[in-house]
Amino acid sequence: MISNALTIALPKGRLLDRFQEHLAACGIRIAFEDRKLIAEDDSNTLRAFLVKNTDLPVYVHHGIAGLGVCGRDVLYESGYDFFRLLKFTFGSTRMCLATKREQADRAVPGHLTVATKYTRFARDYFQTRGIPVEIIRLNGSVELAPLLGLAPYIVDLVETGSTLKANNLTVVEELEKIGVYLIANPAYYKFNYRRVDTLVSLLGQRDVEIEDTGATVGKID
Amino acid sequence: MTKRARSLLQIPQGTEGFYLEEAYRHRKLTAQIEHTMYNWGYLPVQTPVFDFFDVYEPFFTGSDERRIYRLIDREGDLLLLRSDITLFLARQMGMVLTDEDLPTRVCYFDTILRHQDAEDISKNEFFQAGAELIGLPGVDGDLEIILLMQEVLSQLPLPAHRCHIGSRAIADAALSSLPAAEQTRARRLIAMRDRAGLKRSLRAGSFEVRRADYLCDLFGLIGERNDLERVRAAGAKQSFIDEPTERELERLSLIFWQLGELGLAEGTRVDLSEIGAQPYYTGTVFQVYMDGQDSSVASGGRYDKLLDAFGFSAPSVGFSTMLRRIENALTEPSIYNPSREPETVSGQTFVDRYRSATAIRASGRSAIL
Repeated sequence: MISNALTIALPKGRLLDRFQEHLAACGIRIAFEDRKLIAEDDSNTLRAFLVKNTDLPVYVHHGIAGLGVCGRDVLYESGYDFFRLLKFTFGSTRMCLATKREQADRAVPGHLTVATKYTRFARDYFQTRGIPVEIIRLNGSVELAPLLGLAPYIVDLVETGSTLKANNLTVVEELEKIGVYLIANPAYYKFNYRRVDTLVSLLGQRDVEIEDTGATVGKID
Repeated sequence: MTKRARSLLQIPQGTEGFYLEEAYRHRKLTAQIEHTMYNWGYLPVQTPVFDFFDVYEPFFTGSDERRIYRLIDREGDLLLLRSDITLFLARQMGMVLTDEDLPTRVCYFDTILRHQDAEDISKNEFFQAGAELIGLPGVDGDLEIILLMQEVLSQLPLPAHRCHIGSRAIADAALSSLPAAEQTRARRLIAMRDRAGLKRSLRAGSFEVRRADYLCDLFGLIGERNDLERVRAAGAKQSFIDEPTERELERLSLIFWQLGELGLAEGTRVDLSEIGAQPYYTGTVFQVYMDGQDSSVASGGRYDKLLDAFGFSAPSVGFSTMLRRIENALTEPSIYNPSREPETVSGQTFVDRYRSATAIRASGRSAIL
């Protein structure tokens, strides 16, 4: 039997549990059996794929999943255009500039060297403010960079700040609040708009404020 | 493995070759579309594969310019590989058309080249089939092109699809009081269906709160003609629509009324977030969305000022389909397969075999020596 469910990519990790709880509160229960990466809810509303967080935009961009649940940080780095249908109240965090505690009181220099996983965000953020920036790309344990002298600053997501604190680092500046969105492949949304709108109504409020820092490079002039 | 062997295995990102039965299907599908277009009185045109870059430079926005391929010829001139057939066609038509030629109906079957991101699984080389109607302004021209596109698609075994019809002119009229940069920003918010961002942008542009809310409703509309009429009536009642915007809404409504009269409205939707991805659009615009496809399979619209930029003034409207996307979506691709295996002729000598093959071919069958 061909499933008529809407397809949605869900990120492995911290957001999955929160989203499943949110869904359950809305009457949709999705449970992934042990090690399985595809699941469907009993009401045939959603067919969910469990994917790596950073791969999620790729699946949605290519329409493999029509919808996705994704943080703005990942969306920004992907550079793809998506419709953002809903901003969830859970999962928000902050993108911050941080440095060693003893350096925090010094003025941020005119020319920055930062280590980060979020190279696109960091480059755009500082360049749009006229600050020359040298980016060193890292894939994890970014907090090590200032400690070992790779770069004096890092740009990273900060939730509680405990990892920074444990490594003698501190936030210099909060660059942006990072929300979690229900996103849609535009063509998928257009073809299925009635069913998607019904789901969006079920999941929460409709109005979504989309921060304008150029995460989705314009296709429209 | 030798360096030579390794280099033979590497394929430049985005290039695509297709062969034998697949290429046969491509040709056969193209021929079917060609036949439809010829039946509607459209004649083929062939545009050059490259041209001078500076001729087209004003039409490229930031993201588009990053996706085009440029090269330098032996005289040092900067050239552009064909990235948009409509632009190249406008340049050619601008050089050869006179007022006596209008209206002119042309069709094309060609490739365009645009760079895709390295991680993108789509190809850089796109096969397009399209048509343009030059010199026929107004709703009649819009309808002819939309209906031709619908007929082309309806003759193919394809999954369910819907044509979303909107208007660049409605957006341009409604946003005309904003500064140019804010208009650009608002258009993008409309296209991305970012209601909250649009609301904020309009309010910042001195739109009264209730009117800004109304315009968000208007540009968020997807539905049928009666939905358009309902929103239109609400706007008129509260004087939220100025006269130029109302004129463009009337024009769009007329298109849907005529589609309804023809019994062809079912495959279409009013969608006022469709405002045209290219800066040269001036009026009705549309995109076709298909079940299972990650982007539109056909698109088009009206661009009444485009030929002016190439030295000839005439209204134009056109559409193009992404052929490879359509081919990959066919529900019964086998109907485009070669009809039967060619016969292999036998005979003692080549001369015998050649004569046998000639006789078989004369009877309309295929033969190989």
